[in-house]
Amino acid sequence: MRIILIGYGVVGQSLTDIFLQRKIENLRNYGFNPKVVAITDRGGAAINIKGLDLKRIQSIKKREGTVAADSVFGHRQMSGQDIIQSIEAEIMIEATSTNITTGEPGISNIKTAFNTGKHVVTTNKGPLALSFPTLIELAEHNKVLLRFSGTVGGGTPILEFAKKCLEGDRIKEIHGILNGTTNYILTEMAEKKVTFEKALESAQKLGYAETNPAMDIDGLDSAAKVVIIGNWIMNKKFTLKDVDIIGIRDITLNALEIASKKGKRIKLIGSIDGKPTVAPKEIERNDPLCVNGVLNAVTFVSEYAGRETIIGRGAGGIETASAVLRDLLDIKHHLANKILS
Amino acid sequence: MKIIVMKFGGTSIGTGENIRNVANIVRNSSKKGDKVVVVVSALAGVTNQLIHEAEELTKGKEGRIQEFVKELTEKHLQTIDIAIENKKLKEETKHSAKKIIEELEKILIGICYVGELTLKTKDQVLSFGERLAALIVSATLRDYNLESQYFTGKEAGIVTDSKFGEANPLMNFTTHQVIERIKPLLKKNVVPVITGFIVANQDGVLTTLGRGGSDYTATILGVALDVDEVWIWTDVDGIMTSDPKIILDAKTLTGLSYGEAAEMAIFGAKAMHPRALEPVIKKHIPVRIRNVFNPKNHGTLISEGAKVESKEVVKAIALITDVSMINIRGAGMVGAPGSYAKIFRILGKNNINVMMVSTAVSEANISIIIRNNQLERAMSTLEIALLGRDLANKITSEDDVCVIAAMGANMKGSLGVASRIFSAVAKKKINIHMIAQGSSELNISFVVKERDGPIAVSAIHEEFNLNK
Ligand SMILES: NC(=O)c1ccc[n+]([C@@H]2O[C@H](COP(=O)([O-])OP(=O)(O)OC[C@H]3O[C@@H](n4cnc5c(N)ncnc54)[C@H](OP(=O)(O)O)[C@@H]3O)[C@@H](O)[C@H]2O)c1
Repeated sequence: MRIILIGYGVVGQSLTDIFLQRKIENLRNYGFNPKVVAITDRGGAAINIKGLDLKRIQSIKKREGTVAADSVFGHRQMSGQDIIQSIEAEIMIEATSTNITTGEPGISNIKTAFNTGKHVVTTNKGPLALSFPTLIELAEHNKVLLRFSGTVGGGTPILEFAKKCLEGDRIKEIHGILNGTTNYILTEMAEKKVTFEKALESAQKLGYAETNPAMDIDGLDSAAKVVIIGNWIMNKKFTLKDVDIIGIRDITLNALEIASKKGKRIKLIGSIDGKPTVAPKEIERNDPLCVNGVLNAVTFVSEYAGRETIIGRGAGGIETASAVLRDLLDIKHHLANKILS
Repeated sequence: MKIIVMKFGGTSIGTGENIRNVANIVRNSSKKGDKVVVVVSALAGVTNQLIHEAEELTKGKEGRIQEFVKELTEKHLQTIDIAIENKKLKEETKHSAKKIIEELEKILIGICYVGELTLKTKDQVLSFGERLAALIVSATLRDYNLESQYFTGKEAGIVTDSKFGEANPLMNFTTHQVIERIKPLLKKNVVPVITGFIVANQDGVLTTLGRGGSDYTATILGVALDVDEVWIWTDVDGIMTSDPKIILDAKTLTGLSYGEAAEMAIFGAKAMHPRALEPVIKKHIPVRIRNVFNPKNHGTLISEGAKVESKEVVKAIALITDVSMINIRGAGMVGAPGSYAKIFRILGKNNINVMMVSTAVSEANISIIIRNNQLERAMSTLEIALLGRDLANKITSEDDVCVIAAMGANMKGSLGVASRIFSAVAKKKINIHMIAQGSSELNISFVVKERDGPIAVSAIHEEFNLNK
C-alpha cells in the first residue's frame, strides 16, 4: 500500500519507527505492506515511488532538520500540495501542525487528496474541528475513506469503542477529560498545592505542554475533540464555533480546595449533552471519569448499556502513531473487500 | 491495371522534399496504369503539437495561441514552398492552408475560454493536422500534372460509431458511401487524397480511429473499394526478422500471414496495429509495407497465402523491454476456483494491461508481465487485495527483465521448436525466468534478465538462420 506522509514531526517519525520495527510481522498477520513513497516537512519533500528507505530518511531528518536534504530523493521546492497532486498513492497521512484558526495546510491537503482519489488518515485535529461535516461529505462524494483515530485519545481507541462497541445503542450524553496537559496541571495544583503558573512550567519541562500552551489551557484542543466525537459518534453536525469554551487559566488554588472539601475534583470537561461545551467542572472524586495526571477518560451515557467509561493515555507520539496504524489496517480491509467484490 | 490504396505516414511527408518524393511514387504507379487512392497522416510532429497545445490551453493561457498559430502556419507554408513549383498553385495552396489554420485558431480560443478539452473537441483539433497534409499532398500531385482532389475521411464517406477518440467503422454504410463518392473519381483518373485517422459519425460529427490510425483508414478504404492491394509506406524496408539495432544482419521478411503480422504488432515490431488489419483479413486483401526512401525494394507482403510459401519455423524475434515481472505465490491458489480470474480482474479494474502470463499450478505460483510504468500500482493493488486473506502469501517483482518473443505461423504443431529455442539460449548460459505460449500458438515468449536480452535474441536469430 503506497503512502504519502505529510508532516514529519513527532507523530510522523513515530509512525516510521513502527513501520521499521513491525514490518515483517505486519505483513504476515495482516497482509499489510506499507510503502512510504513520499514524506514532506516545511523544508520540502523526499520522494521515491518505489518506496523510501525509512532508516535513511529518519537519520537525514535528525541530522539535517528536513527530509528534503536527501541528496538523491530530496526536493526542496516541493510542497505537500505538489506531492499529493503529482504522486500516485492509495493513502495520504496528514500529520502537520494543528492550526485551529484556519485549519491550514491540513484542510487543503485533505481536499487535494480526496480530489486525486486518495484515502486520508489524519492526526491533525484542525481540519476536522473547523469543517468536519464538509470533509465527511467530500470524502463520500469522492468515494474515499477518511480516518482520524489519532485525533482523540491518542492510542486509546475512544472513537472505535463508541462506534463499534456501542453499535445499535443510542448514546445520549458524552463527558470527557480530553486533554492530558490541562489534566496534568489541574492534578499538580490539587495534589501539590502549586500555582497554575508553576504547574504549567512543570508540564512544559516534562514536554507535555507546548511553548505556546494556549491551545491546551484555553480549552481549544478539548473543544476540537468534542467536535470530532459529536459529529462522528452522535451524528450531530457542528463545528468549533458552535462549542462554548472556557479554559483553566482562572482556576485558583482556593477553588480546588473548596471542591476537595466536598469530596470533589475540578476537571476540564468536554460535554455533549444538548449543547456542546468545554468548561472546568466539579466531579465526584470516585467517578470513574475522575482520572489524574496526563490520563484521558471519556464516559458514554447510552440508552441500554448505561454508563461506560474508557480510560487511557490521551497523547504521545508513538501512541498516536499506533492509532494511525489501526486506521491504515482498517482502510486496507475496506479496500481489499472493495477490490475483490 | 490495379487499384491500390497508398498510405503515407508523417515521416514520409515530413518535409517539402519528401512530399515531392511521395508525388513521384504516386505518378510512377499512375504511369503504369494503376489507380491510386492516397491516405495521409499529419506532417511529422504536428499531431503531438496539436494535442499538447490544446491541453495547455485548458489552463487558460490565451496568449500562447498566437505564437502557436504562427509557428504552425510557418511550418506548413515552408513545406508548400518546397513541395510545389507552380507559382499560382503554390499561392492558392498557401491561401487555403491559412484559411484552415484560421478555423483551428477559433477552436483553440474556444477551448481556452471553456477551459476544458472533451474527447469530441480533441478529435476536432487533431483533424487539422491531416487536413493540412491532405491539402498539400493533393496540390503537389497536381504540380506533378496528375488530377487530384482532397477529402476528409468524412467527405470520403467513412462512417463510424460515436466512440470519440477510438471510433469503429460501420463497414456497410461506409462501403456504400465510399463507392458512391470515390469510385467515379478513379474512373476519371483523379487521384483522391484522403485524411487518415479523421472520420465522422452518422451525424457528421468528427471522430478519430484511435489506435491503428491512418493505417486503419487505408484498410477501410481498401475494403470499401475492393482494391487489389493496400500499401503502407513508411521509412523502413518492411517488417524485419529482428530489431536491426540489436541484430546488425537482421533481414527484411518478404512475406507474412495476417496472423503473423498481428502477432508481431502485438509484440511491438514496427508494423501495423492489429486493429488496422481486421478489415482486410476478412476480405483477403494483401497489405504491403514499403519504404518511401527505397521504393525499389518490394517490402513485406502481408497476405493469406504467405504462410504456405515459407518454410522457416521461426520467422522473427522481438525483444520487449521496459517490462516488469510480478510473481504471486500462495498455497491458497491451488485448486481454488477462480483465484487466477480474481487476479486478472483486480489488474483489469486498475487499468493494468497484462502482457504475458504463466502458471505453475503445482507450485501455486503465477507470473505476470506488465509494463514497467504500471508496476507500482499493480503491486500495491495486488498486495492490498490478496495478502492476508489466504489467497497469496508472497508477492514479489523484478523490474530488470525483458520479454523475448519468437514468432512464426509454422510453429503451430511443430515439435521441437521450443527445445531448439531454449537450448540456443542455454548455450549462452542465460537463465530463463518464465515461459509462455500464447493460445494462437504463433509465438513462444519467455523472460530473461534485461542485460541478457540482446544475446538471447541473437542466439535464436542464428539458430534459425534468419540472417541467411
Ligand atoms: N504528538 C501527539 O501526541 C499528538 C497526538 C494527537 C494528535 N497530534 C496531532 O498530529 C499532528 C502532528 O503532531 P506532531 O506532534 O508530530 O507535531 P510536530 O512534531 O510539530 O510535527 C509537525 C510536522 O508538520 C510539519 N509542518 C508544519 N507546518 C507545515 C506546513 N505548513 N507545511 C508542511 N509541513 C508542515 C513540520 O515540519 P518541520 O519538521 O519542518 O517543522 C513537522 O514535520 C498535529 O496536528 C498534532 O496536533 C499529535
